[in-house]
Amino acid sequence: MKLRLALVILGCVLLLLAAVVVGPQLEGAQGQFIIWQLRVPRVLVGMWVGATLALVGAVFQALFQNPLATSDTVGTTAGATVGALFALALDSSRTVQGLPLVTVCAFAGALAGSLLVASFASSRTAHSSDVLLAGIAVTLATSALASGIQYISDSRALFAATQWSLGQLPQVGYRGVLLLTPLCALSCTLLLLLTRSLQAFALGEDLAHSQGVNVPRLRLLALALGSLGVASCVAWCGPIAFVGLVVPHLVRRLLGASYRLLLPMSLCVGATLLVTCDAFARLIVPGRELPVGIVTAALGAPTLVFLVARGRR
Amino acid sequence: MSELEFVDLSVKLGQRTLLDRVSLRVEPGEFVALIGPNGAGKTTLLKTALALRTPSSGSARIANADVSALDAKARAALIAWLPQHIRAEEPVTSLESVAAARYRFRESHADSRRAAARALERVAASQYAERRVTELSGGERQRVAFACLIAQEADILLFDEPANHLDPAQQLDIYRLLGELWREGRSILCINHDVNLLHRVGDAARLRVVGLRAGKLVFDAPFDAPALPDQIGKLFGVEMESVQGSEQRFIMPRSRSKS
Repeated sequence: MKLRLALVILGCVLLLLAAVVVGPQLEGAQGQFIIWQLRVPRVLVGMWVGATLALVGAVFQALFQNPLATSDTVGTTAGATVGALFALALDSSRTVQGLPLVTVCAFAGALAGSLLVASFASSRTAHSSDVLLAGIAVTLATSALASGIQYISDSRALFAATQWSLGQLPQVGYRGVLLLTPLCALSCTLLLLLTRSLQAFALGEDLAHSQGVNVPRLRLLALALGSLGVASCVAWCGPIAFVGLVVPHLVRRLLGASYRLLLPMSLCVGATLLVTCDAFARLIVPGRELPVGIVTAALGAPTLVFLVARGRR
Repeated sequence: MSELEFVDLSVKLGQRTLLDRVSLRVEPGEFVALIGPNGAGKTTLLKTALALRTPSSGSARIANADVSALDAKARAALIAWLPQHIRAEEPVTSLESVAAARYRFRESHADSRRAAARALERVAASQYAERRVTELSGGERQRVAFACLIAQEADILLFDEPANHLDPAQQLDIYRLLGELWREGRSILCINHDVNLLHRVGDAARLRVVGLRAGKLVFDAPFDAPALPDQIGKLFGVEMESVQGSEQRFIMPRSRSKS
């Protein structure tokens, strides 16, 4: 197990380094500029986004005892989409305090969506499955709202909305890294502190309750922290599919389900996976960049099927 | 040591009354067996004691404090349970899941694991300490959950049909363990269908049997009361037959009561 863990960590480090280096031959001052001003910040953003999405996925799967739970199932992504569409329908070039209006609105929408679900989760009598149902209800309601906004948008806004919903790592430079880092770091660090209480969920929510876990409080805390991290990621990158869902399952297969390993390693593997997929997205079509959301979805779906099929045996 | 008390407790679910003004006291160090037909409200009673269900009136109290007002960790120090069905969705090892039951203790993970290993040894489950709970059989999983209960080290222990789905050898082991925990000074409230198994706890003369039907307390008698077989028969709506064993009398259902 120790050897496996070492191998997984080594693999992550190598892939992350490779993601900075691979690409067309770069030389001279221009090459230096591309690497240091474009690629490195983009890799850093990718690491935070991948790490946060994967960790939140792992935490929600543990908390709701549902292998399908991710930040998409508790209203965060759906809320962000409505916010982003709203901003794009208004005017995609507007800024607030120097930040793109889209980002600000997506962030606000993500928090609002999660808040709706969280208000349900804090009820003493709510069970995990009720919270997931509330998440699905909020998702459905917001997608109706999103369709409504699209219906009244013009074609330019529609195109921008489609682009946004594909999910990609933006060229935001070090400023983006600086904005993302504190929120993601806060969210991830505090979520990792919940490991011990989440571990008690392994044999069911009721048993965790009787063992002394304050279930409603834990649920609210995890939802709030997870939504904060994911909201800041989605605000910049749009919805990036499958990272939050697949990475925890991948880590479970590689290293087992002890949360003491599963949570931190989901963080590492999530960071690596998203950055690697992004490097792949840069290279696969020469001269063009695919949105990384397409790559994660294309790779994530078969990976998930494979993991589930292997797990059954 | 603290006593568990249900005071005039009612639980309603929509229009249905699950428990109807139940008053029951389990003294410190006492063993109370709770019996009754399916759907009588036995599990609901245990769940109110754990603050998993909110009473519509009355209260469940431990050491004179309402359980729903207790801090979660303080409650976990007072009362623990072995549920009837144990979910196992996450492929964690038995040892890790028992170590997680030490949540209420402020201790290192290494200490939790040591306590978990001792608890698993006590229920004779050490050999599958490193196996994943999702791969265990029903009986093995029951033992792991029992180890969780032991590792939690609470004063009052609740059991919900602990011998359910177990083979005779496993049933004997479980009831012998129940007796051991009881003699260590724990108070026990145990739901079970087969009262004959209670002889395997040992010290049968000190046991109390409580009958619950349709949410109401029907009788409360010592285990050796001569009228008990009749009361149990009436509770389930069957005619009981007594059979003299080598050391004790066993009772068996013979036929449904005519009425």
